[in-house]
Amino acid sequence: MVLVSPAFAMVTLFVLFPLGFAVYISLTDWPLIGPYHFTGGQNYTELIHDPQFIHSVLFTLLYTGIVTGPIFIIGYAMAILVRSNRVGSTFFRTAFFLPFIIGLATESFMALLELQPDSGAVDYVLSRVGLAHAGTAWTVNYGLALTAICVFVTWFASGLTMMLLMAGMQGIPNELYEAAEVDGGTWWQKESRITLPLLRGNIALALIISVIGSFLAFNQFYILTEGGPGTSTQPVVMWIYEEAFVQYHLGYATAGAIALVIVIAIISAAQFYLLRDSSRAGR
Amino acid sequence: MTAATASRPAQAARATHVTRGDPRRGTGFALYLAGGTLAALLFLLPLAWAVLRSFMPDTLVTQAPSVRDFGHLTTANYTGLVQANDILHNVLNSLLVACGTGLLTAVIATMAGYGFARFRFRGSGVVFSLVLVTMMIPFQALLTPLFLEMHSLGLTNSLAGLALFYTTFNLPFGVFVMRNTFLQIPWELSEAAAVDGASPARTLLSVLRPLVLPGIATTVLYAFLFSWTEFVGALTFITSNNLYTLPLALLNMEYGSVGQVNFGYLEAGAVIAMIPCVLLYVGLQRFYVRGLVSGVVKG
Repeated sequence: MVLVSPAFAMVTLFVLFPLGFAVYISLTDWPLIGPYHFTGGQNYTELIHDPQFIHSVLFTLLYTGIVTGPIFIIGYAMAILVRSNRVGSTFFRTAFFLPFIIGLATESFMALLELQPDSGAVDYVLSRVGLAHAGTAWTVNYGLALTAICVFVTWFASGLTMMLLMAGMQGIPNELYEAAEVDGGTWWQKESRITLPLLRGNIALALIISVIGSFLAFNQFYILTEGGPGTSTQPVVMWIYEEAFVQYHLGYATAGAIALVIVIAIISAAQFYLLRDSSRAGR
Repeated sequence: MTAATASRPAQAARATHVTRGDPRRGTGFALYLAGGTLAALLFLLPLAWAVLRSFMPDTLVTQAPSVRDFGHLTTANYTGLVQANDILHNVLNSLLVACGTGLLTAVIATMAGYGFARFRFRGSGVVFSLVLVTMMIPFQALLTPLFLEMHSLGLTNSLAGLALFYTTFNLPFGVFVMRNTFLQIPWELSEAAAVDGASPARTLLSVLRPLVLPGIATTVLYAFLFSWTEFVGALTFITSNNLYTLPLALLNMEYGSVGQVNFGYLEAGAVIAMIPCVLLYVGLQRFYVRGLVSGVVKG
């Protein structure tokens, strides 16, 4: 079919072929320049014994574990706040969602200045209220950098969770709430017995999208800490990038990338399954 | 599952939500306003602060903030950025890539969406699944094979190559949105127009255009914002300074400069990068939300 062939060609050329090619590269010692040799599964065995790679995996999991909860809770609370059309609700929605639209890269550059010792607003405000010492260098200390980035990313990503949950909440038929009101149901009962159960699909979707985003974290760490101090704040995507384009171990880096593809594909498959499920339920 | 079927009951429910009680009265409404305003401040203040900072002289940018700073606002960071760093060149690069990506994605996704919605052919199900499966593959994990492939095709260090790369990873979403757009069109309408003597071109322009345009707007908006804000792909595929997109130019100010980072310039550059996103989102919000509720957005 002529109409779909350009789309199919692009996807084949820039996704499906590279995917197969990646599997092949991962089985070699591919350098950036020069001949390569087939090494079988050696990259993969090295990978699981590489403390650097293991650390980046664990760090990504830790980071995901920290940010997922706050993003979800804040997003859920904001969705409740702005789900019905009232005076100001459009403005609030826009305000909460704007950080997501502007993007992490741009905002990381802004955050870089505010996280500087002395001149940064973070340092200034927190030292004034006594929560930090003046002159704290937020981006060069593992704990401080991780904390700052987690707060920053929560600010960035809660709006997306809000939008996804809000769409689900607005899809719940109003008659259910009216019936509950007739029966004298309290606000809390309506939320916990109507909204929450009917929102399960949307909650799962929002969580999956949030987790995938965290697993693929790169911009905020590359711009704010460059993975440092040392390589302590290096997430997996940054490990792949550094290994491939700084160390020029393309084969080895790609083996790590294949592991990432598998993990993300499994999570995304769950996302598609949920979507299919919710469409069958008539929504 | 479609954007349309997902948003229609949503709108219906929204309409009824409003009438529930009098929303202007009561402590509930006061709490809503107070909470909303407080939260909005938390989300907007950092952005507003960044804009204000970009108008401070460089020495103030590197000093602790104080109230006196508000009296010394200047556009020096912007003029310096334009003159010394030729930032407009980077803005142009970013615009070229983002517009190219938006246009290309719209054309290819519209064609494919129409094809998938109107015709069933051998293997159409398989091809559609293949396009959708792409959504499950993070491009961040394909940087090495893509780099080698694009390098051998002469597409690295090329704005066109970058736009092709961005287009590909925006296509699944675009095809999905456009297919749903075409699926919800009542085709009896175009048949009726044909019966009434309208030419196919006229049918397309006056009957179908208003129905298809929102889908195209959604597709273009996502593709544009994706390319405008994308970072790691550009970092991998672009190496020449004169081809740097805006995020790369900002990174170059951070790491590439010798000595002290010019935070005033960096802040002004970040504000420039922020402007199109804010304008496009505020102006075209409903098209963006339309894409969101289709449920195939990536984090």
